Amino acid sequence: MDRPEGSREKGDRLNMSDIDVMLDDNAPVVPLIDEAAPAKVRVRKRGRVTKWLAISWMVFITVSSIGAESLPYINHSCDQFASIGECTTATHANIRLAERPPAWAGFSDSPQKGEPARFGLMGTDKNGFDLFARSLLGARTSLIIAGLAITFGLAIGTLLGMIAGYFRGWVDVVIENLTNVLLSFPALLLAIFFVTFFNDPSTAAATTRPLWPVVVSLVILSIPPLTRLVRANTIAYAQRDFVVAARSLGAKGSRVLFREILPNIVPTLLSFALTGLALLIVAEGALAFLGLSVEAPVPTWGRMIATGAGPLREGSWWISLMPAFMMFLTVLAINLLGDVLAQRFNTREAIS
Amino acid sequence: MNSRVQATSRQTDGPLLKVTDLKTHFRTERGLVRSVDGVSFSLERGRALGIVGESGSGKTVLSRSIMGLLPGRNTERSGSVVFEGEEIIGLSLKDRRKIWGREMSMIFQDPMTSLNPVMRVGKQITEGLKIHLGMDNENARATALRLLHDVRIPEPEKRLNQYAFELSGGMRQRVMIAIALACGPTVLFADEPTTALDVTVQAQILELIGEQRRDRNMSVILVTHDLGVVAGHTDEIAVMYGGKLVEKAPTRTLFANMKMPYTEALLRSIPNIEDPSHTRLNVIAGRPPDLVNPPKGCRFSPRCEYVQPKCIAEEPPLLTAEHADHVYACWYPVGSPVYREKRAQLDKAKKSAGMSQVGAG
Repeated sequence: MDRPEGSREKGDRLNMSDIDVMLDDNAPVVPLIDEAAPAKVRVRKRGRVTKWLAISWMVFITVSSIGAESLPYINHSCDQFASIGECTTATHANIRLAERPPAWAGFSDSPQKGEPARFGLMGTDKNGFDLFARSLLGARTSLIIAGLAITFGLAIGTLLGMIAGYFRGWVDVVIENLTNVLLSFPALLLAIFFVTFFNDPSTAAATTRPLWPVVVSLVILSIPPLTRLVRANTIAYAQRDFVVAARSLGAKGSRVLFREILPNIVPTLLSFALTGLALLIVAEGALAFLGLSVEAPVPTWGRMIATGAGPLREGSWWISLMPAFMMFLTVLAINLLGDVLAQRFNTREAIS
Repeated sequence: MNSRVQATSRQTDGPLLKVTDLKTHFRTERGLVRSVDGVSFSLERGRALGIVGESGSGKTVLSRSIMGLLPGRNTERSGSVVFEGEEIIGLSLKDRRKIWGREMSMIFQDPMTSLNPVMRVGKQITEGLKIHLGMDNENARATALRLLHDVRIPEPEKRLNQYAFELSGGMRQRVMIAIALACGPTVLFADEPTTALDVTVQAQILELIGEQRRDRNMSVILVTHDLGVVAGHTDEIAVMYGGKLVEKAPTRTLFANMKMPYTEALLRSIPNIEDPSHTRLNVIAGRPPDLVNPPKGCRFSPRCEYVQPKCIAEEPPLLTAEHADHVYACWYPVGSPVYREKRAQLDKAKKSAGMSQVGAG
């Protein structure tokens, strides 16, 4: 019996001796794949670079906004450019540097002698404040408000959605109709309504407007879609065999909900929550643009964009554009991370 | 320590489980679906009952209905289920929960979906032990190990920390059995436990269930569509059709002396290995009855080869055969003169059809 040497060439027809080899238990195993060929297969993954860019941006923005007071690359000098901490009013020195374009911008306004024509990474606003430093402080406001809102929104939305989806019946009807009503309002209008509603008119005129009306209104905005998502997922999982199995072993409703169903929903929920976070940052920006977010002097992207709208017409484009750019990058990064998470969890679903 | 939690022995007189005229109807927009329509049987401790029927015959609903696992909305349940001398229909959810796991538990058809994908196997086993039996972490873990060992899972220690997707189908079903057995139930419902498994694994799983039944003196209700599965692993077989019990007998008697043409048709539809290749499979013509509008007479009459006018007009009651433990619902059972006459005609027709086929070929 002649045995084929090495691997068969591509296109070789299977002849009788091959079959004999296959049937013969004692025949040596002929490797079908040439061992010299590379065993490792390089799998190209989509968006690896963008993923790391997004992560780096989020790390940068988070760290900078937390440590804005002490980080070396942020301008702190109060009497010159900053608005950090108690520096709220523009000093004379500030004014002299008002509306300077970013250092990389290729034009100058023929400034007076001894004064820089351009300033910093992002230029200055009409008060002479460093836009880079202010943008990072704006990030702090935006991230805190949107982060708080999505956290509370997640907690409430998940609870409502799971109750509606698991117990069904009249609870489901009530919750469904509530979410439908909330969803059918224009989101921003609803937020504006709540912010003005929660802002006590007697204190609204005062200097400090609290953070929580904005947060609460954004929480209310985020609850309906999250409730819907969780409800749909809960219904799907409640009919799975493992949930029936848990019940058949005598597990209580709360146990089934939090131990069996919730862990299965969390992946979907997390990737959706990131998208929600991005949306809420934009929503907060819109509120701030309309002057409905936190009170000045606390910087927010929305108000920075709003104050830059006037100078924009006079050619000082950077005052609006720089914070808008920061917001754009942040929202983009969060959305990309949401995609990454969604993809990651999808793979896992495919394995099991 | 002994992990085998012995079934509680507050056995009163009479059978362990007695189901009388159990009806389970679902209200749907199309009408009332009579999934289980008056089923009665009883089950002794330590015995295995097979419930056989096609898809849609109500066998799964029957087992879930006995346990009380069906959703309450749009479900009508009547009749009586007496378990250990106690009526369990109409119990509150709280009381039913006390029965689930400890007294009755269930194995499901598809082990791929009956384990929680995001919970470690060990945790899924120990949860019930901790809650129902009040074990501490260490005891529960040791018991889980014993259970995994009992269901013949290699390297049980490693498995405790694995997830369902890391196990093969057969192993998952073994884990499922371990979970179902964990709290020492007296009745185990196995709802098509081998349907989703490889044929070689099927036999092992059935063997395992049988072995655990003997070890634990537990009763088993084996629900399946495969007569081959119940043949070697049950003491008694109940055949269901269209939500009703149409024949019930000890396994041996049923196979040797079946009365109901439906049972016969089921058995004939199993291909015979000695037949020449390309033999036509014997199928049961038609479809299972619509449970909203079941046929007026015998529910099998539209598909029965031996159908007579009486079958269409009148529903047959459950009759007792030569042995008291053999009941069937048929006007002209297998072996009756009418049956024999019809059978002879059919065989003749089939033979000539076969001849013409050969001629044409």
